[in-house]
Amino acid sequence: MSLTQVVRSCSRFAAKSLRVTAAVSSTAQPQMRLMHRISSNSPAVSALLNQNYSAWQSQFVRNYSAKPPLTLKLIGERVLLVLKLYDKIDPSKLSVDSHFINDLGLDSLDHVEVIMAMEDEFGFEIPDSDAEKLLKPADIIKYVADKEDIYD
Amino acid sequence: MSAEIRSKVIGLYKHLQYLGREYPGPNGPQKFRQQIRDAFLKHKDETDPKKIMALVAHGRYVAKEVEALYSLKKYRALKQRYYD
Repeated sequence: MSLTQVVRSCSRFAAKSLRVTAAVSSTAQPQMRLMHRISSNSPAVSALLNQNYSAWQSQFVRNYSAKPPLTLKLIGERVLLVLKLYDKIDPSKLSVDSHFINDLGLDSLDHVEVIMAMEDEFGFEIPDSDAEKLLKPADIIKYVADKEDIYD
Repeated sequence: MSAEIRSKVIGLYKHLQYLGREYPGPNGPQKFRQQIRDAFLKHKDETDPKKIMALVAHGRYVAKEVEALYSLKKYRALKQRYYD
């Protein structure tokens, strides 16, 4: 039996059982592409699906969205790199403890742009109330480490 | 400036900066970014809350216009590719 045949027979079975589940619960939606939902609804179906699927399915599941593991050092390097690439910061003056507004001569609009760059770099949103307190690269490093649960 | 108004102004600035990243034209994003900055700096000494809110409303109007420009650009590009 080829792979496509297996898939076809599986989906046929799923369609049949879908009708049963649809009759039982009105919440189940009559669409075949919601097979994962069916399998989570009724244990019998999921057992059978797992029997047929698990061998080959496991090869196809990959975590494309997984992030590389962060360390405190890596966060520090990335923060400083982003700041170096920002055109209004002089890289020679930059250090972990330099104050954005007092030492580096940025204004509050620049500070907003720096925070935007950090949001882009680390892929999460920083609320305004927190952003006001992040006035040094060290603060940003600490904040990102807190958000990503890194302690070492 | 109260915290509420401040956060509105900062939110508007961020929104406009994000919009500006796809501004068309040579050096479009850089130019747009500088223009937004200048526009905000021009009113940096404004203290009257009512006037600030009016300026924020104007900024939102500009943001809407830019969005409209983008969708127009998209449909022009489609038209050009299919019909011209």
